[in-house]
Amino acid sequence: MKSVDDHWQALVTTALLGTDRREPPEAPQLIADLVADTARTSASERMLALVAATTAVRRAGVVPGPLLDELAIPDGDDRRPCVPAAVDRWHHITVSWPVLEDEWMLTLVTAGWRIAPELLPAMLVRHRSDPVRRTRVMVGAGSTGRWLVGHLPDLAARHPNATVTPEALAELPELPIAPELAQLVNWPGAESGGVLAQSLEDGTLGHPHRAMLINLLARVRADALLDIADILDAVDSASPGYGLATVLGDLATTRHRMLDELST
Amino acid sequence: MVDHQHVGFTCTCPSRKTPCKHALALLLLWVRDQVVDTPPPAHVSTWIDRRSARRTTASRSADGDGASSDTASESTAPEPAASETVEAGDAIGESDPTQPVPQPDRNTARNDRVERMHGGLSELDRWLDDRIRTGLADPSLARYATWDDLAARLVDAQAGSLANRIRRLAGLVGASPGWHDEVLAELGLLHLLSQAGRHLGSLPGPLADAVATSVGWQVKQADVLAGVPDTDHWIVAGRSDVREDRIEVRRHWLRGTSSGRWALCLSFAAYQQSLDASLRVGTSVHADIHRYPGPALRSLVGARYALPVEPVSPPSHTIAEGCDEVGSMLVSEPWLDRLPVTIRARLARSGGVWALADATGSLPVLDAGTRQFDAGLAMLLAVSEGREVDLTVEWTPHGVVPLSIHLPDRTVDIGPRANTSFVSAA
Repeated sequence: MKSVDDHWQALVTTALLGTDRREPPEAPQLIADLVADTARTSASERMLALVAATTAVRRAGVVPGPLLDELAIPDGDDRRPCVPAAVDRWHHITVSWPVLEDEWMLTLVTAGWRIAPELLPAMLVRHRSDPVRRTRVMVGAGSTGRWLVGHLPDLAARHPNATVTPEALAELPELPIAPELAQLVNWPGAESGGVLAQSLEDGTLGHPHRAMLINLLARVRADALLDIADILDAVDSASPGYGLATVLGDLATTRHRMLDELST
Repeated sequence: MVDHQHVGFTCTCPSRKTPCKHALALLLLWVRDQVVDTPPPAHVSTWIDRRSARRTTASRSADGDGASSDTASESTAPEPAASETVEAGDAIGESDPTQPVPQPDRNTARNDRVERMHGGLSELDRWLDDRIRTGLADPSLARYATWDDLAARLVDAQAGSLANRIRRLAGLVGASPGWHDEVLAELGLLHLLSQAGRHLGSLPGPLADAVATSVGWQVKQADVLAGVPDTDHWIVAGRSDVREDRIEVRRHWLRGTSSGRWALCLSFAAYQQSLDASLRVGTSVHADIHRYPGPALRSLVGARYALPVEPVSPPSHTIAEGCDEVGSMLVSEPWLDRLPVTIRARLARSGGVWALADATGSLPVLDAGTRQFDAGLAMLLAVSEGREVDLTVEWTPHGVVPLSIHLPDRTVDIGPRANTSFVSAA
């Protein structure tokens, strides 16, 4: 007796040629019963009824495919995956404050975290071409990273043979900061924040200096960030530097929270 | 609202039956003396006054024409039910209740629309017949005009959903080695819908509603929201964004904690518009769900009673049980092309194709093809590391789309996401 699948294949063959050239195949009883009450005169009408009925029967009878072998799982990694807040932070900084991304990754690796698995594909795609950042991702990902790339070649590095020195791997990239601002990098937060707020309020610093100020806040000492954020948030809303102060305050807060989430 | 003295009723429900079940229920309560005798609320009084004013005007008009006596006028007073049931909006729509208001002849408009739709469905069937006669190897199938012209005619015939199916079908031609198989199945389902759409009157109510919706019959959101709500703690189990023509469509699949029933909430966004971001995958929302007519899953979220709770995950099945669940939904509506199911499975490879597998069998993962890197599959592989996990997937005839991974402490949303350069999609 012909199965529904065999009947379907016969229908596909007839449909390819068209009913002008080939009569519809005889249906198995199950399908024939379904279309028996239809008054159809032409071959194409009978064929359409058969196709509709067979499709409905095949869909309703959806069954699992064959049993499949398990994939080999990656080697174990003792490091804990970073917390969900850090995952959200990474998404936020890559969109809003990419200047912080290198520090996020280095802090994660130094503090002994593993990259959360849900971040891995996005990170591997993002850093396919940059050998230093790519290597940091692979270090943070551990065995899962290598296993994943083995299964999905789309995630492989563009320059797999590029060499990276340990120094380049461990150091944050140098950011250009004007000499008169560079001294603020190591000042306590209350002092550096005060100078910045004063300069923004009186217009000494403004939007032309935005990139330099962002670099500065990406490198000031970590324990100064909270104070700086508080002081910048208190900048007079009527002053010309208020908008920029708000933006820089957000950067300081974001960096503070990022480091907090990745602390051990 | 029911006027039992002069026999009239009005309701905000979307039912096409007159009187609707709500009006009948109210009348039954009144017959059994179970309606509390209280002063009518303001909107009921307004409605009764307006009916009374109409009757007065009608009787004056009849007197002026020298027509029959009061007695005769009384005997013909009851108004036709059909004209009453379409009055849902007039409690807020009229300024002078003493004047007779010209009613738009909605039945005529509806009949015109039905006629146009029937014409479109007949044309679709003729077109399908031509395709089957000349065969799928006919070169005209590879031309977009073959499909676009038909889709445009279906839009004119108010069968927008069928027009969308035709456009999607055009994209299948030549897209894979087995495209003949997929196109033929879809032609069969279009034939099924066109036949069912032309015989709506002879179908059982829920099936007729389902067919009407699948063909493209529009139901107003206000009418859906006026229906009886399905209140539950709804788990937002999965989300997927799909571009259809020039519109981005977001599907949120919700599962009732108590009822175990699925619901589908859609949101749409054109270029630079925003998709609904109020339902977060992995949370549970205590809310009213209002379902569209028929057994379909499409719904609207009504009142929300609490802030979302997380983490939650729907109960999972084996792959065999998942197939049974999908099959039982397809029995009632074989033309559905996306259905949700939560299964516990692992990723596996089958001849170069990714699949979800467990001890009961496997389901192929929908191949993203050459379109782009499949971020959802990569996330699933990374998070599961080849082990079994609970996940909600969208079943399609061509394979499943993983939407979310339910971990003990969180849910990871891996469903296809809209391009943010096109729409805002949080």
